[in-house]
Amino acid sequence: MLLSVQNLHKTFGSVAALSGVEFALNAGEFVSVIGPSGAGKTTLMRVINGAVAPDAGEVLLSGASLTAARGRAKRRLQAGIGTVYQDFALVETVSCRQNVLTACLPDMAFFPAVCGAYGKDRRDEAAALLDRVGLSDKTDAPVKTLSGGQKQRVSIARALMRRPDLLLADEPVASLDPVTGQQILALLRDIQQTRGLTVLMNSHNVEFSKIFSDRIIGLASGQVVFDGPPAALTDAVLAAIYGSPEAQP
Amino acid sequence: MTRAGKKRLAGAALVLLLLLAAAWVTDCDPALLWARRGHLTDLTGAMFPPDWGFFPKLAAPLWATFQMSVTGTVLGAALALPAAPLCAGSFHAPAVLRHILRAIIQITRSFPALILALMATFLFGLGTFAGTVALTVYTFAIMTRLTYEDIEAAPLSAYRALRAMGAAPAPAYFRAVVPAIAPSYLSNGLYLLETNVRHSAILGYVGAGGIGLLLNEKMSWLEYGKVGMILLSLFAVTCVIETVNGALTRMVREEQSLPPFAKRGLLFTGAVLFTVCAVTAAPPDVSHTSAQMVRSLLSDFVRPDWGFFFDLSAAGLGWLLLETAAIALAGTCAGTVLALPLAFLSAGRLVPRPVAGLFRVVIMAVRSVPFLIYGLIFIRATGPGAFTGALTLAVCSVGLLSKRFLEAIDALDFRAYHALASMGVPPLLRVRHAVLPQLAPILASAVLYRFDVNLREAAVLGLVGAGGIGAPLIFAMNQYDWSTASSICLGLILLVWAVDGLSGKLRKKLDI
Ligand SMILES: Nc1ncnc2c1ncn2[C@@H]1O[C@H](COP(=O)(O)OP(=O)(O)OP(=O)(O)O)[C@@H](O)[C@H]1O
Ligand SMILES: [Mg+2]
Repeated sequence: MLLSVQNLHKTFGSVAALSGVEFALNAGEFVSVIGPSGAGKTTLMRVINGAVAPDAGEVLLSGASLTAARGRAKRRLQAGIGTVYQDFALVETVSCRQNVLTACLPDMAFFPAVCGAYGKDRRDEAAALLDRVGLSDKTDAPVKTLSGGQKQRVSIARALMRRPDLLLADEPVASLDPVTGQQILALLRDIQQTRGLTVLMNSHNVEFSKIFSDRIIGLASGQVVFDGPPAALTDAVLAAIYGSPEAQP
Repeated sequence: MTRAGKKRLAGAALVLLLLLAAAWVTDCDPALLWARRGHLTDLTGAMFPPDWGFFPKLAAPLWATFQMSVTGTVLGAALALPAAPLCAGSFHAPAVLRHILRAIIQITRSFPALILALMATFLFGLGTFAGTVALTVYTFAIMTRLTYEDIEAAPLSAYRALRAMGAAPAPAYFRAVVPAIAPSYLSNGLYLLETNVRHSAILGYVGAGGIGLLLNEKMSWLEYGKVGMILLSLFAVTCVIETVNGALTRMVREEQSLPPFAKRGLLFTGAVLFTVCAVTAAPPDVSHTSAQMVRSLLSDFVRPDWGFFFDLSAAGLGWLLLETAAIALAGTCAGTVLALPLAFLSAGRLVPRPVAGLFRVVIMAVRSVPFLIYGLIFIRATGPGAFTGALTLAVCSVGLLSKRFLEAIDALDFRAYHALASMGVPPLLRVRHAVLPQLAPILASAVLYRFDVNLREAAVLGLVGAGGIGAPLIFAMNQYDWSTASSICLGLILLVWAVDGLSGKLRKKLDI
């Protein structure tokens, strides 16, 4: 089992963003998390990648506890996770390639890492990844000159550059047009199958989630209300996740 | 290594080389400063406790200082409003007029306010009138430049629409363009008011009125308690002006909205303040100005001393200008080093609030002291010369630099930093790759700007014996040796022009 989350709880003030979330991912699975806005999807990702400490519960990566780890040991576990952010979280003033290359920093010796001397192989790989997400003409353009959808794809390329075991993708196609969105998801699916990557994706697009995932997790008010194959996602289940059938996206 | 990497390395090497050269030209000797550090505090210590009984005598000169700044700023800024469109390329003012105006502004901008004030005293006699004229001219030059740059960047579609409907150029300009540039114009004006208060506190050194006269006198009579009192009151004035200015600037930039009657009330208060300042201003004292002197001034000024101008020895103009530029460069660099930690320590989002508040007061205090005082303090430790000048400028740069740096820190976006953290990147590398790239362009821009300012300030350091072109210039002017003064002015104009061009190129290249 690659990832297992156990009884996660997280409250912000009086808001319970996560209350008792539990599931596990097998290596190589493509799993979508769906749920209404504010259900706790982003919080779940931030707890899994170690950015936010849960109030209770545990995150296990291949059996090792990320929640209990500190310092260097924690960073070593985190280095196995790549995250695509809903708000991109890029350095706006440097180029796309430079942003993608930051994903290599955990593998590098201190001095070259400080100087940003990534070497030719990594630079080429970054350019190739940017090409795969359709940004070959923006490789050396500053991120601040990009559109929202282009930034989102840079964020994806950065997560892939990490060559992670686990890819967390927080609404990775929310800023993209339907055609590009579908292409990007197909790309993720392809990499997942060829590299044996495990993907956990947050999504507001139930149709895409059904097409591309092996399994779907429904989150509502911080609780898992559904966990099963796309085929089991009936209208009744959707109503339970989203509140009422009219509220379906 | 990549091409961009090689270029960056070459750039860094060049900057380092320039700094080393500047350190060599200014006889930079940190060991001397360290060895004689005790001398820095004795003068400062003598200013405390301040002589409280002296305060009542300060009211009049403080008011005169304030009066000069307000009158000069308002007049200069008001004159800039009609002059700016004539300079802007986007209007079809006659090209000859545009070039002449721009040249006048560029030339005026080459001189520090103090030198302008010295020139003004020859025409209008000693006193606040000369100071007011100097500040007006100084403000006019800077405001015109800033405003025409704003105009060139502003969209002109509304103006064109009004013109197409048959409006004359002037009304169309005031109706369609001025409102668009107003926020930037007003906040520049407020900023200049602040700088002018600082400048006018030293104009008395050349007899142009205000509190500088008193400061100079008490300094030379070694009455340090009284000097302390003057500095304390300047600090208080600076605090008040910065606070009021900060609130007004936020309002102008529309970060804070006001009901219309409050706006009108503010405008009215401003108008009354200006009227009071302008009406109570002292008239010029032309009793010592003779037509003959003015004639000789003009006729000698157009005949610069070319021998001195082209003299390449250490006594010639070239070396003096080089020394001035080196002082400015070394001072800016040292100022950056001082300002960086201060900015971080005064950033409310990085350190606890009380600590940040404390350091903000420290920065304000450093800013409020006229720079010649720093010169006089440093001279005790490092003796007369260029090194003292560089140290003085370093401390003077702290105020502006740390303020700009602080703004950059406040605008930092930490999302990328956290994203790197959750990929397992260690903290130092996160700062290097997710924080520094955001700060660097703003820091570079602020440092370049301050270098520009320091170049001018370096030209008056000579007043206290801190090196540079200032001493010979002021000496020549006081001797009525106009042809030497003229060649020095010409050199200064060329230096500022060259540096302007270079920093413009650099800005374009660095995209800042
Ligand atoms: N840092 C925070 N501080 C306070 N409250 C937070 C914070 N982060 C999340 N929350 C709250 O936790 C709840 C879950 O937020 P979360 O961002 O995880 O939702 P989401 O499912 O990702 O929503 P969306 O689909 O809109 O992205 C929300 O009520 C949100 O207001
Ligand atoms: Mg979210």
